[in-house]
Amino acid sequence: MPREPDPSTNERAFLLSALSEKTRLDGRPFDAYRPISLSFPQNPDQYGVADVRMGKTRVLCNISSEVVTPYADRKFDGVFTISCELSPMGSAAFEVGRQDQTELLLSRLLEKTIRRSGALDTESLCIVAGQKCFHVRADLHVLDHDGNLVDASCLALVAALMHYRRPDVEVKGEEVTVFDTRERDPVKLSMQHQPFCVTFSYYASGEILLQDATLLEEQCREGEVVISMNRFGEICQIAKYGGAAVEGLSMLTCTNAALERVKVFDRLVKEELAKDDKLRDQGGVMKELRAENER
Amino acid sequence: MAETTTTTLLPGEEVGSDHVPRSKKGTLTLGPGLRHTPPSTITATTAGTLHVDYKKAALWLEAPHGRYQPAVGDLVIAQVHHSSTESYACALTSHTPFALLGQLAFEGASRKTRPQLKSGDLVYARVSRASKWEEAEIECFNASTGKSEGMGPLKDGMLFQISPAFARRLMMGADKDGRSKGGVIVLEEVGQKVRFEVAVGRNGKVWIDSGSVRETLAVGKLLVQCDEQGWDEDAQKKMVKKLLKDA
Repeated sequence: MPREPDPSTNERAFLLSALSEKTRLDGRPFDAYRPISLSFPQNPDQYGVADVRMGKTRVLCNISSEVVTPYADRKFDGVFTISCELSPMGSAAFEVGRQDQTELLLSRLLEKTIRRSGALDTESLCIVAGQKCFHVRADLHVLDHDGNLVDASCLALVAALMHYRRPDVEVKGEEVTVFDTRERDPVKLSMQHQPFCVTFSYYASGEILLQDATLLEEQCREGEVVISMNRFGEICQIAKYGGAAVEGLSMLTCTNAALERVKVFDRLVKEELAKDDKLRDQGGVMKELRAENER
Repeated sequence: MAETTTTTLLPGEEVGSDHVPRSKKGTLTLGPGLRHTPPSTITATTAGTLHVDYKKAALWLEAPHGRYQPAVGDLVIAQVHHSSTESYACALTSHTPFALLGQLAFEGASRKTRPQLKSGDLVYARVSRASKWEEAEIECFNASTGKSEGMGPLKDGMLFQISPAFARRLMMGADKDGRSKGGVIVLEEVGQKVRFEVAVGRNGKVWIDSGSVRETLAVGKLLVQCDEQGWDEDAQKKMVKKLLKDA
């Protein structure tokens, strides 16, 4: 089974000695992220695609929806699934069709952060109780893997969900009409809150905490703490992976730092969405009100 | 001396007849990236810049991309993966078959005095055998003289990843006038002010050790940036000056 090649002893020793001198290999402070870029498709008919880059890590999220029958035990809820498949495009260590540790952890964390925290209001996806509902599906594609997949994926997922518009529906008695995007403007998904993941990698038994670790830093760390919270400081989940024990008090510093970071993420997503809205809204209200057809 | 032209070719594109050198013997040598279709068509098989050596009547393409393929005589930095009774299995690049390094392929090595390498250690070695069908073999000494010639295990320091093409340019050396053939002068410029050891592997790896974390990182970052951003010689000089000023 292919796996990420282990870093050499030289690299490992150098990284750790650099960290003990309070420097990271790329010169960032311990609590800084690599430059983040978030972009949406240029095509005005395309919704629900978000492309996130953190340094050399790149994740693309695509949202789609279809009309299905709801689960028998959840008649009033729509269906929301997250699928993340790591393809060899991201790293040669990922294999098609086989789930490895990274993928398992990633999908589990996203599941906990977005789905179980109720970020997406699934009740609003119901069309006719027990008969018809929307199935919203999020597909995550890792295009390049240079560490910190969890944070990048979560950011992409939330941004894509906020960007997505589902087709409008009308219910008349038992009859359901799903309108094409050209007939009626598609509608936004209703989100209850926007949680983001922040990963802390720790070294030297928890004395050194790094945010946004690169692949090499991830390979050399003793463990990680993943905190998911929204901008109000409500924690959705905390996960700690890796054997080494960490002092309880440092969790508090983690959550405080995570809150600051989440606020930055939240602002970034909203700014980019506003920019995208402006691009799509060429002509504004005057264009809407015009009676003339475009030929 | 090879005359460099800045003709960029795309795969399938033909090489113009004005680029093709005429030699006295009437022979022509084609290097990597070019393909000859009789009678006289030469097409590119990959994207790259065309280089012509009129003296040797040779043509080849320099491509900035692609993975490293071992060739005999290349100096490489290999990472020991595991050891067996006869040899060490070393990784030249990730996710490719291991290269074999004989347990005794070191300077002055005998059964008792051979170096003990552990998994993850780095060695600077030369490719002694390369073939499409079997594993490459590398050695850390010159088999005919028995001298190490600078090769052997690499201790401490840091490894940086660069593109194989940049590694090739770094190793081209200087011509008679002392000018760098590959157009890379970063190391020479920094070397005037900072003391460090460097080993360049053709497999896209550079090992640098200056004793201090800060200097090693600075030199390594300079090389990586020079590779990624494609600085010319003036830009290289400027960036080195800037770095020395900041430090």
